[in-house]
Amino acid sequence: MSDTSPAKRQETTSPAENAVELIDITKRFGAFVANERVNLRVKRGEIHAIIGENGAGKTTLMNILFGLLQPDEGRIVLNGRETIVTDPATAIDAGLGMVHQHFKLVPSLSVADNVFLGMEIRRNGLIDQAAQIEKTRELSERFGLKVEPQERVSLLSVGIEQRIEILKVLARGARTIILDEPTAVLTPQESRELFQTLRGFVADGMTVIFISHHLEEVMEVSDTVTVLRHGKHVATRPTAELTKDDLVRMMVGRNVSFDRRRRTKTAGEVVLDVKNLWARDERRLPALRDASFTVRAGEIVGIAGVAGNGQTELAEVLAGLRPASHGSAMLKGRDLTALTPAAIRDAGFAHVPGDRMVRGVDGSASISSNLLMGRQFKAPWSRNGVLDWDGVAKQAVEMIKRFDIRARGPEDTVKRLSGGNIQKVVLAREFTNDADFLLIDQPTRGVDIGAQESIHDEIMRQRAAGRAVLVISVQLDELLTLADRILVMFNGRIMGEVEGDSADSERIGMMMAGLNASAASEVAA
Amino acid sequence: MEILDKLLNVALLVATLRTTAPILLVALGGSFTTKAGIFNIGLEGQMLVGAFFAVLGSIWSGSALIGVACGVVAALVFALAFAVLVVSFRANEVVVGLALNILAGGMTISLMKAIFGTRGSIVGQKIVGLPKVQIPGARDLLGSWAPLVSGYTPMVYVAFVAVPFLVLFYKRTRLGLYIRVVGEKPEAAEALGISITRVRYTASLLCGLLAGLAGAHLSLGYITMFTENMSSGRGFMAVAILIFSAGDPLKVLAGCLLFGFADAFSLRLQTFGFPSYLILAVPYLVALVALFALSYRSRPRIIRETLESMKKMLSVETKPAETGNNLPR
Repeated sequence: MSDTSPAKRQETTSPAENAVELIDITKRFGAFVANERVNLRVKRGEIHAIIGENGAGKTTLMNILFGLLQPDEGRIVLNGRETIVTDPATAIDAGLGMVHQHFKLVPSLSVADNVFLGMEIRRNGLIDQAAQIEKTRELSERFGLKVEPQERVSLLSVGIEQRIEILKVLARGARTIILDEPTAVLTPQESRELFQTLRGFVADGMTVIFISHHLEEVMEVSDTVTVLRHGKHVATRPTAELTKDDLVRMMVGRNVSFDRRRRTKTAGEVVLDVKNLWARDERRLPALRDASFTVRAGEIVGIAGVAGNGQTELAEVLAGLRPASHGSAMLKGRDLTALTPAAIRDAGFAHVPGDRMVRGVDGSASISSNLLMGRQFKAPWSRNGVLDWDGVAKQAVEMIKRFDIRARGPEDTVKRLSGGNIQKVVLAREFTNDADFLLIDQPTRGVDIGAQESIHDEIMRQRAAGRAVLVISVQLDELLTLADRILVMFNGRIMGEVEGDSADSERIGMMMAGLNASAASEVAA
Repeated sequence: MEILDKLLNVALLVATLRTTAPILLVALGGSFTTKAGIFNIGLEGQMLVGAFFAVLGSIWSGSALIGVACGVVAALVFALAFAVLVVSFRANEVVVGLALNILAGGMTISLMKAIFGTRGSIVGQKIVGLPKVQIPGARDLLGSWAPLVSGYTPMVYVAFVAVPFLVLFYKRTRLGLYIRVVGEKPEAAEALGISITRVRYTASLLCGLLAGLAGAHLSLGYITMFTENMSSGRGFMAVAILIFSAGDPLKVLAGCLLFGFADAFSLRLQTFGFPSYLILAVPYLVALVALFALSYRSRPRIIRETLESMKKMLSVETKPAETGNNLPR
């Protein structure tokens, strides 16, 4: 327990040691069991992390706790009192507050209006904006969450939006705060500030439940960890007794390594030859400047760089989604810059786009439809111009198995899946096209550790099969794991090239910051 | 100069305010639904039944006020039907709106035939129109400018006074705030336990209320009669205004004044012997130009993307010819 003052202690409604107890919670969706007899005990005044892979049942469990879902079996005890949480209002009354992964703020309203939305302070029938602003300022100062109450939310950064979400929860009197993957959208600095705030909360006698699959931050900020795997409770331990490797093992159920993959040199003929490629961004400014490189068969080339340095434009030009203003990109003798996206794909080009929900999948369609997309005129998916739905389903079942897509079945809607599983749907479609060239933009963005490993396995398998692979990633570790050569981009230019086997992250970091290759080696040396 | 003097004078301004009023009323009604995230194309029909039943009520009761009430009730029934289909049954807004518009047109015609045995229009002494409101002291204070503020029928005042009230309503009342939230970010409303269904029903009914008043103004205001399809596109003009104003009351007012002015101006031009069919098209041309000018920048994404891909296809074809001179250095 924390060292709170007696006055603060009296504020808490009940002397129970546990703020939250979930006992033997089971939740099924059809035949799919999302939570199976899960137990969770969260002590008052601690930061309790819940970790697990995507689809392990973390969010389901929290939705049950917060009354958004009803458990099929099990009991919920809040502050020592057994409670049936029928809806979020019950949970809020019991002192719970939830900060969702996707913020629910109204952009055109002010910070204060958003904080008090649904519980407006009124005088003479009108909303008393002065009082709301005053109260928001008070809360903001008391909890160290700096906001400007009168500012419009549409003008604010994601980090501040999250503060407003937390203030909303605090304004409703929450003493136990649930945060669903709070750092997924934050910069490292913003994350650090958030952790400080959370520590302030527990020092104040409050309780924090924190969902994450980011191991470093769990190690850094939490007092206790509960691990879920495949909907089951694996362990609850004090964080201090654990190492990162323990956590990975418990989450995934086996050892996972992110060491550099071993390989034999297999680079063959040149498949993609990019020469002096230029492109402009939406503001008509040059965003890609004079890029020249090659990718050979059986080789993985990585593109490193801070997001927004021309990688997106490069990917879009190659995929035919953005016109090149100059230069060429020859794929086995054909110039991609003169072809439409469909013709580019027919030329042997597979594309795993960076933003999978926009360009990778149709979220509202089924898995099997998404796996079909782009080859609906080809056997075995269609025969004589007519779709063979049985064949489509059979292919889908096979790919779901091969790529370990966790879903209820081939007819499951894609947007219901977790991020990692959606990514696997995209990979399953793109990797089974027998394309000579694969462009993979952010292969594991928002994907959990176990799935990351299997995606990396799959990329290495493609390499072994003699494909030419271009991987664009903002995660340097990923490129160090996978790539034979790493190109570093800065401000639209390729600053230099490093051999994957001898790559050192410091030198790459220098180039990412804008130093050219020779200067970077000098500084690094 | 003489012609300009004849064209632009107090009478033109007065006429502008008068012709603006019905569009303004119905457009303000539509602002409720627009802000609540419903595209309400059924304004025209609500206005039309409002006009018809206002005349009917006025004849039966001999009271203009009861006539207005009847018009409002009829429009509310249409608004309720719209809400039931669109909000509860999630039917397509455009389809439902159009269907109700067609229903309103056909229904008023057949009821006219059934009750009055006539086609075309209902005219007669028995229709009691709304009185003109003379503001005491206006003539002494303003002299020849007095008609600007005094002597309109009541709905004109209602329409213009409603504008500041609506501004306050959206900014400072709970219902106004909820209507905005439901339209702008329904998931936020849901998360806070605000009933989207209830708010959208309320917005639809408020819209019906004002559309009914607008209709009553048409048939009991300056002229006391009902003619077939009397709303003559005002509801659609209101929809156009709502699209580019996003329901903001002040912008709605500006848009309505523009149309009202075009309308009044075209009537004025008629007295100069321009062909009337051309002149009657002026307000609609203004609508087209204004819509195009104002919505060009906020074209829906799908149109922009289509244009972009067309451009791209064209540029791919012409590319070999121009590669030499477009180095972006």
